[in-house]
Amino acid sequence: MGVVHGQEMVLNIGPQHPATHGVLRLQVKTDGEIISEITPYMGYLHRCFEKHCENVTYEQVIPFTDRCDYLASMTMNFGYVVAMEQLMEIKVNDKVEYIRVIMAELQRIASHLLGIGAFGLDLGAFTPFLHMLRDRERILDIFEMTCGARLLYNYMWVGGLSHDLPTGFVEATLNFLDYFEPKVDEFENLLGHNKIFVERTADIGIMPADVAISYGVTGPNLRGSGVKWDLRKDDQYSIYDRFDFNVPVGKGLKGTVGDCWDRFYVRIHEIRESIKIVRQAIDQLPKEGDVHQAMPKKIRPPKGSIYRRTESPRGDLGYYIESDGSDTPYRVKMRSPAFTALSVLNEIGAGWLMSDVLGILGSLDIVLGEIDR
Amino acid sequence: MTVDFLFDFLSELLAGLVGSGPVLIISMLIPCLILFGFITIYALIVIYAELKVSSFIQDKVGPMGQGVGLHAGKWGLLQPIADALKLLLKEDIIPSSADRPLFILAPFMIFIGAFISFVALPFGESIIVADLNIGLFYILGVGSIAVLSLILAGWSSNNKWSLYGGMRSAAQIISYEIPAGLSLIVVIMLAGTLNMQDIIRYQAGGMFSWILFDNPFVPIAFVVYFISAIAETNRTPFDLPESESELVAGFATEYSGMRYAFFFLSEYANMFVVSAVAAACFLGGWHSPVSGFMDSPSWGVFWMISKTFFLIFIMIWLRWTLPRLRVDQLMNVCWKVFLPVALINIFGVAIWTVIFNQ
Amino acid sequence: MSEDKEKIISEAVEKALQGDMDAINNIEDRVTRSKAKAALVKAKRTNVVADKDSTKENNTSKSKVEEKINFNQALCQKISEKFPDSIDADQNNDWIQLRPENWLKIAKWLKSDEKLSFDSLQCNTGMDLGEGVLESRYNLHSMKHLHKAEIRIIVSVEKPDIPSVEQVWRVADWFERETYDMFGINFIGHRDLRRILLPDDWEGWPLRKDYQEQETYHGIVVPKVKEGWE
Repeated sequence: MGVVHGQEMVLNIGPQHPATHGVLRLQVKTDGEIISEITPYMGYLHRCFEKHCENVTYEQVIPFTDRCDYLASMTMNFGYVVAMEQLMEIKVNDKVEYIRVIMAELQRIASHLLGIGAFGLDLGAFTPFLHMLRDRERILDIFEMTCGARLLYNYMWVGGLSHDLPTGFVEATLNFLDYFEPKVDEFENLLGHNKIFVERTADIGIMPADVAISYGVTGPNLRGSGVKWDLRKDDQYSIYDRFDFNVPVGKGLKGTVGDCWDRFYVRIHEIRESIKIVRQAIDQLPKEGDVHQAMPKKIRPPKGSIYRRTESPRGDLGYYIESDGSDTPYRVKMRSPAFTALSVLNEIGAGWLMSDVLGILGSLDIVLGEIDR
Repeated sequence: MTVDFLFDFLSELLAGLVGSGPVLIISMLIPCLILFGFITIYALIVIYAELKVSSFIQDKVGPMGQGVGLHAGKWGLLQPIADALKLLLKEDIIPSSADRPLFILAPFMIFIGAFISFVALPFGESIIVADLNIGLFYILGVGSIAVLSLILAGWSSNNKWSLYGGMRSAAQIISYEIPAGLSLIVVIMLAGTLNMQDIIRYQAGGMFSWILFDNPFVPIAFVVYFISAIAETNRTPFDLPESESELVAGFATEYSGMRYAFFFLSEYANMFVVSAVAAACFLGGWHSPVSGFMDSPSWGVFWMISKTFFLIFIMIWLRWTLPRLRVDQLMNVCWKVFLPVALINIFGVAIWTVIFNQ
Repeated sequence: MSEDKEKIISEAVEKALQGDMDAINNIEDRVTRSKAKAALVKAKRTNVVADKDSTKENNTSKSKVEEKINFNQALCQKISEKFPDSIDADQNNDWIQLRPENWLKIAKWLKSDEKLSFDSLQCNTGMDLGEGVLESRYNLHSMKHLHKAEIRIIVSVEKPDIPSVEQVWRVADWFERETYDMFGINFIGHRDLRRILLPDDWEGWPLRKDYQEQETYHGIVVPKVKEGWE
C-alpha cells in the first residue's frame, strides 16, 4: 500500500518467526537499517472462534476460549465465566471465588515469565529465558495436579469449577512461592539491570499515555506508560477487593516513561504483586464448600447482551455475549488485548532500527492465538 | 621435532629418487595435514564444550546418553560426531536465483582464511608450522579474508536478510580489527619483535614475567584485545550478523549442509586463533606459570592449549550470559571507546617503560 | 430511591406479571413508571437460578442496572438536544440506538465534551440480526469519569454504510476492519478498509447468518460435507 520511495527496501519479517510470538507477518519498509513503516499482516492463525461459538452450547465455548490465548488459558476462562455469570445473575460461593483468584494469579505469573523470557530471547539473552521456563514448569505442575492439563485447562465453568482442589495443593503452592520469591529478584538483576539490556530497551519504543489510550492499549503496556489503570481495582470483578495489592506503574526509571524497559519493569513487579495475592488468598481460603454448587443444570441465559471485561496478563479482555434465550449463544465476541497492542506497533515502532523493532514487539507481549482467534 | 627435522628426514629419504621440488611440497604438506587433523578434533571438542557449558549455565542437562549407540553416547560424547554426520548427509540446496560461483566460493574462502592463520601459531618450543619473521603481522593480515567471504556469502544468496547480515558483519569485523591491532602494538613494543616464538621467549620465567604483568597498562590492552577478538569472531554479544531471533541465520541463511558447517567451523577456528594469539602474546604462550615445573618442550603444547582453551571457555561463558548489542551501539563502543583507549594505552605503555626502564 | 417507591414498583410489577397492566400505567410519576416498566421487562426474562440468599446482591445489581438506565436516558436527552433526529427507537434500555448519519459528529462530541469525555472505545461488535439487518455496537468508556455507554447502529444489508470513527478513537481502525471483514459493513471515511483476519481475496462475509462458504479457494476445495471426517 502506498508508494515505495527510491531507496526503500520492503522486507518481510515472518510469518515463520524464530521468537515465540506466533505466526505473524510484519511487512517493513526500510531505508538502510531504519524502518519507516510497519504493516502487520495477521490471520494466519484464524480459527473462526466466533463462528464456532454460535454453533455450540455455552459450556462448550469454554475450551474454545482456552485455545485463543494459549499461554494464559485460566484468565481466558475467567473472563468468559464472569461475563456469563453476570448475564445470568448467578452468584458463586466463596470457595469457588478464592480458587479462581488463585488460579488466575498463578497463571498471570506463568504468562509474565514467558513474556519476559521471550523478550530477553529476542534481544539475544538466551539464558534468562530458560531459567524462567524452568520456574514456569513448576506452576504448570501445580495446574496439572489440579485439573490434569498443563496448558489448556477448561477449568473454570459457568457457576463453578471443573475440579475441586486436590489434597496437597496448598502445600505445593506455598512451597513454590517460597522457592520462587527470591528468584524474581534474581531475574530482575540478571536481565533488568544488565547494562546491555538497559541500553537496548531504555528510551526505545516510547508510547505516550494518550496514544496508548486512543489505540486501546491496556494492561501492562498501558501501565508502562504511566497510566494507573488496573481492572482488578478499577472495574472490580470477583473478590479482588478483599486483597491488598499495589498496581505497578512505569516511572521511567532508566529512560523515559513508556519505553520498553518500563513495560518490562511493570511485568516483573506484577509478578511480585501476584505472589502477594496468592498468599493472601491461600490464607483466606475457606475449607468447606462445593465447587459445583451454583452450576446450573442447563445454561440458558435470558435474552439480552452483556459486555464484561477482566484483566488478563496482556490487558483487558472483553467478552461481548449476546444471547437469544436458547442454549447456544447468538454471538460471542472476544475483545483481545493483544489485538490492540499490535495495532500500536506502527505508531511506536516506525523510525527505529530493525533490532529495536523486534525488541518493541517483544515488549508488547503479544500472542497470535488471541489476535487471530 | 621441528619441521626442519621432518624436511631433512624426508629429503634424505627421498634424495636421489626425485628432484627437490615434489619432496619440498610433500614435506610442507604433511604438517599442514597434521594441523588440519588437529582442527577437526578441536572442532568436535569445542562443539561439545559449548553444549555442555551452556547447559550448566542454563540449568539444563545438555546432550546425555547411556552408552555408545544409545542416544548420544555416554554423557553425550557422540553428539558432535552426530552433528557432523548430519551436516554431511544433508541435501545441498543452492537457490536458483543465487549467484552460483560466488555462492560456492564463499564458504571455502572463509575456511581458508581461518586455516592459513593456523600455520603461524606456536604450539611449543619448536612446534610451529611456519616460523615467520612477521608471524603476528601475518596472522592479523590473513584474518581479514573472512570479511571478504562474508560479504560474498551475503550478496550471493540473493536474499535481503543475508545481505543485511553480510553488511553488518563486514562493518563489524573491519571496525574491530583496529583496536585489536593497536592493542597488539603494545606487545610488539615490549617484546621488540613480530616473530611469535620470540615474543614467547621474551616471557620466559614464571608467571610474573608474562607480558600481562609487565606494565599496569598492559591488562587494559589485554581486555581491549580480547573483546575486539570476540567481536571479530562474531560471537555474542556481538553476534548481530547471525542473530537467530532477528535474521534467522544472517548471512548463512541460504546455506545448508556442509556449506553451512564450513561457516561455523571457521567461526570456531577463528576463536581458536584469536585465543591462541592472546595466550601467546599476553599470557606467556607455551611457558608454564611456575618456572621449572612442567617446563620441558613437550609440556609446552599442553600449556599453550590449556591457556587457549581457558580463553575459549570465557568466550562461551559470555555468549550465554549477555544479550546482544545493537549495530550502532556496537560501532559506538568500537570507535568511541576502544579506539581512544587503545591509543592512549600505547602512550601509557611507552611512557611507563621509559620512566621505569624495564 | 426511597423505600415506598420501591414498594410501589415491586407491587406493580407483581400485578403486571399476573396480567394486570393497570397498576403500572396508573403510577403518576413518569420516572417511577418507566422504572417499573423496566423492572417488568427484566422480571419477564426467564431466570435460571435465583439465589434466595442474596437478595442484597440482587438489589445492588438491580440498582446498578437502573443507574445505568438513568444515565443512558440522560445521555439520550443530551444527544437529541445537540443532534436532533439521531436517536432511533426506545430508550428504556442500557444502550442507545442511533441512526448512522450523524455518528461521526456525535462520536467527536462524545469524546471532546468535558462532562462526558468518552476517551476510550472498548469494543466494537458487529451483529447480524437476521432478515437483512446488520448492526454495529460500540462500547464506550470514560477513563476520567468512569462511566460507560453502549451505542448501537442498525443498517440494512443493501446499504451497509456507517461513518467510520477511526479518526476519533484510533483503536477503531482495526476494530472496524474486523467488522468489515466479518460482516461486510462498509465504514465510510476509513482510510484503509480491507480485510484483516481473512486473506484479501476471500469472498463472502463469514459471520453473517446466511454465509455459505465458497466452493474453492485458489484451487483448494472448501469441504462442505464433513461425513468422512472423524
